Amino acid sequence: MAEIKTFSNKPIPEKISEIAGKVLGDEKILFAVIGDLNLDGKYDDSAFIVTESSAVAVDTRHENGYRLYRFDEIEKVIVKRMYGNAIIRIRLKNSDESEKKKVEIALRFTYANADIADAAAIFINNVTDGMDLEEQLLIVKSTYDKQRSFCPKCGRKLASPDAECYNCKGKGKILSKLMKYLLPEKGKLIICIVLSVIVTFLSLVPPRVTQMMVDEILPKNDAKGLVIIILALLGVYIVQYFLGFIRSYYLRIAGDKIIIDLKKDIYAKAQYLPLSYYDKTSTGSVINRVNSDSVILQNFIMRISQEGITQGFLLIGIAVIMLVMNWKLTLLSLLPVPLVVLGGRLFGKKIGPMYRRLWIRSSHISTLLADTIPGVRVIKSFTNEDSIISKFKAYCDDWLKEDKRASMISSVFPNVMTFLITCGSVIIWYVGGRWIIDPENNSITIGMLVSFISYTSMFYGPVGFFANISDSYQSALASAEKIFDIIDAEPEHDFAKGTELERMDGKIEFRNVNFAFDRSKKVVDNVSFTLNPGDIVGIVGTTGSGKSTLINLLMRFYDDYEGEILVDDVNIKDIDMKYYRDQIGYVQQEPLMFKDTVFNNIAYGTPNAHVEQVIYAADVANAHGFISRLPDSYDTYLGERGIGLSGGEKQRLSIARAVMKNPSILIFDEATAAVDSETEELIQQAIERLIRGRTTLMIAHRLSTLRKANRILVVDKGRIIENGSHDELMALKGKYYKLIQIQSMSQKVREQKESENFE
Amino acid sequence: MLKYIEGPEVKLTVNDKIFIDAEFYGSDEKLYELEPHRLFPISGLNKYISLLDSEGNERAIIRNIDNLLPESKAALQSALDEYYMIPKITRFVKRYEKFNIWMWTVDTDKGRYTFELRNSLTAIKTLYDGRILIKDGSDNRYEITDLYKLDKRSIKMMLPDI
Repeated sequence: MAEIKTFSNKPIPEKISEIAGKVLGDEKILFAVIGDLNLDGKYDDSAFIVTESSAVAVDTRHENGYRLYRFDEIEKVIVKRMYGNAIIRIRLKNSDESEKKKVEIALRFTYANADIADAAAIFINNVTDGMDLEEQLLIVKSTYDKQRSFCPKCGRKLASPDAECYNCKGKGKILSKLMKYLLPEKGKLIICIVLSVIVTFLSLVPPRVTQMMVDEILPKNDAKGLVIIILALLGVYIVQYFLGFIRSYYLRIAGDKIIIDLKKDIYAKAQYLPLSYYDKTSTGSVINRVNSDSVILQNFIMRISQEGITQGFLLIGIAVIMLVMNWKLTLLSLLPVPLVVLGGRLFGKKIGPMYRRLWIRSSHISTLLADTIPGVRVIKSFTNEDSIISKFKAYCDDWLKEDKRASMISSVFPNVMTFLITCGSVIIWYVGGRWIIDPENNSITIGMLVSFISYTSMFYGPVGFFANISDSYQSALASAEKIFDIIDAEPEHDFAKGTELERMDGKIEFRNVNFAFDRSKKVVDNVSFTLNPGDIVGIVGTTGSGKSTLINLLMRFYDDYEGEILVDDVNIKDIDMKYYRDQIGYVQQEPLMFKDTVFNNIAYGTPNAHVEQVIYAADVANAHGFISRLPDSYDTYLGERGIGLSGGEKQRLSIARAVMKNPSILIFDEATAAVDSETEELIQQAIERLIRGRTTLMIAHRLSTLRKANRILVVDKGRIIENGSHDELMALKGKYYKLIQIQSMSQKVREQKESENFE
Repeated sequence: MLKYIEGPEVKLTVNDKIFIDAEFYGSDEKLYELEPHRLFPISGLNKYISLLDSEGNERAIIRNIDNLLPESKAALQSALDEYYMIPKITRFVKRYEKFNIWMWTVDTDKGRYTFELRNSLTAIKTLYDGRILIKDGSDNRYEITDLYKLDKRSIKMMLPDI
């Protein structure tokens, strides 16, 4: 049997191992892709096993359960991603050139195996093309390592094979996580607890006084005693309410501090979350978590940390007093307790999922708000108000429908509990009353009965509290889950980690880089290129070809790619993220301005910037002219997203921002795509001043903007299909040549039309 | 310029499982190795099927698959069935959570399968027509056509997530 001890994504099923052994004999297996579908698309075990000179596909649908492919009969291996599944297709060589190439489907699998299937295909294609087997095997190994770099405890993917699992680090139950926010306020909270305990014990005095009045003072007509006891009662009330006021004050400030700390943490964490998180989570939902969920959680924290303790003391205190007064009556009053506790548990189970569903609906509403309120101009321009209002109404109605269900349960439950508690009092009234009417062995005074009934009512307060706590616990749990989804999410790696280079010259190298936003489609496909310091590189290609994704990877907006990206021969994943991004100037097609002054918008990435630095940056960016003509000049306060400036003006402010950073690498992502020719010229001048001596990458649709580029990369379907200078690529007469031809023609037509209109 | 195919003017034959060839009656035009793509894969419409050539360029759109000749319809349907894999969940076997990752074992029309779900809030979507779409941690898709037709236990397991 063949030796199977190299890479495999899963343990090789015995049946497959046997077949492979039989077919491959002594050939050493290098790696295996264990699939999860058969060729008919049903879930089943299958495999694609690769050796140094052949590959065998094992699937019950193949004749005899397998198909052996010798490398010398393979022309190309292709991984074809379909929808929810993928296949390995093998194009075979033909002895007769005139015949159509034979293509076979070797393996079918879900996306779970897509990455390693890709690695297998690249391996076979490269080895059959004559590349070094050992080197290719190393690339395959890195893909397998990445597959395997999951936390053994929780299964979450790790940043690197030996990285610490962020998810498991400090992982604990929600309550213990919340302690982090309670501890800084422990002083105030302890004061509150002490005051609560005193207030609670003071609240136990009045029923006892009632008993004394009924049994001793009133029957004896003791006027002096009455005055003393009333004064004592008044004193108790004064102390009780004064301490209550102090407690409320401390409780409020401690609570506010807790919620602000929580909000700060969520917001700070939201800043460090990778872009891939926001690709999947709506901003409305994140805003909902910062605003609403933190408040729900705070209420729960306060309930559990304050009322919980107070009610606990109250429960014990009353139980002791009641037991001392009359243990038989105490036991009778406890009769409904098991029902109350069981009811609480049942209620928790019922209401928990409802709160979760309510949260999902409330998140729909916030997401719609976050989408449509900033986009109100678009809505108005398309007169889409009615449709968006209907959608909002539908979401609100959906929420209301779910809320009605939850309200029914959460309203019925406390009333049922209260009824059970009242039954406890009724029992005491009945039994106590009987004992007074017919004393026999159970002597009890009227005062004691009245006092006991007061204590019974008080006793059921904490019982009810603990029975009902599951309501707020379930609601808080739903919110806590969402909050910790952010707080526990894996942040962008390497902030304050990794090395800082002494100097960044700006050499950039992509080595066999592959990337997909999800496994359904590869966006960057085996890209390799090297740029030297000072190179001015144009990246061209049609929309959706993968140009911006290359930039996103270089910016480390996405880290989950295969292969390596190096700057100055250092893997960018080993460089400190903050330092690294500080070295890159990034000018986007639609620059984002913040609601702040022009000055602060330019100095955005440079705290403590000198005034003249900012003016200089604006001048280099051809922005100083229009800024100085604004009535408030650099103090002009911009509206949200830069309202008040034209697209070209915002773009020049964005270039000024890049100037302020004095970066080693500059990236322009369609910087002039959305402006008129005149503004384009102004921006182009600014860019040319800025790029001197810096490695510059420019994505451009208008190829005329690449006039300064000494190299052009042509991207198509995630691959670099052409790489060279303008002249070299024109001589090649490939895709770049075609793009230039098309643009020259449309330019001529435009110019002709313009001149006709002018005449 | 969009080119629509109404139905009877074309003969479609399976080329290689997911690819089809198209032969237009009344003209010499023949297209080979076309990849049919649903333009509305989630809506589930049997209409508007885009035919892409090997370069990924669209060559034509079939307006309505039901208007094709029976053999052509069968060929196209077979290619689409091969291409699109959205298993329909028929029963929940097991669901458990550990450290925020859910493992679901389900019975589907393609057999039993276990997958992981990273974040149920983003991975589960209820569509306007009541269908529930689920995207697992590996970006595979699953569908629950009508939750309320599943057994009580499965409904109970799913309800908190929708």
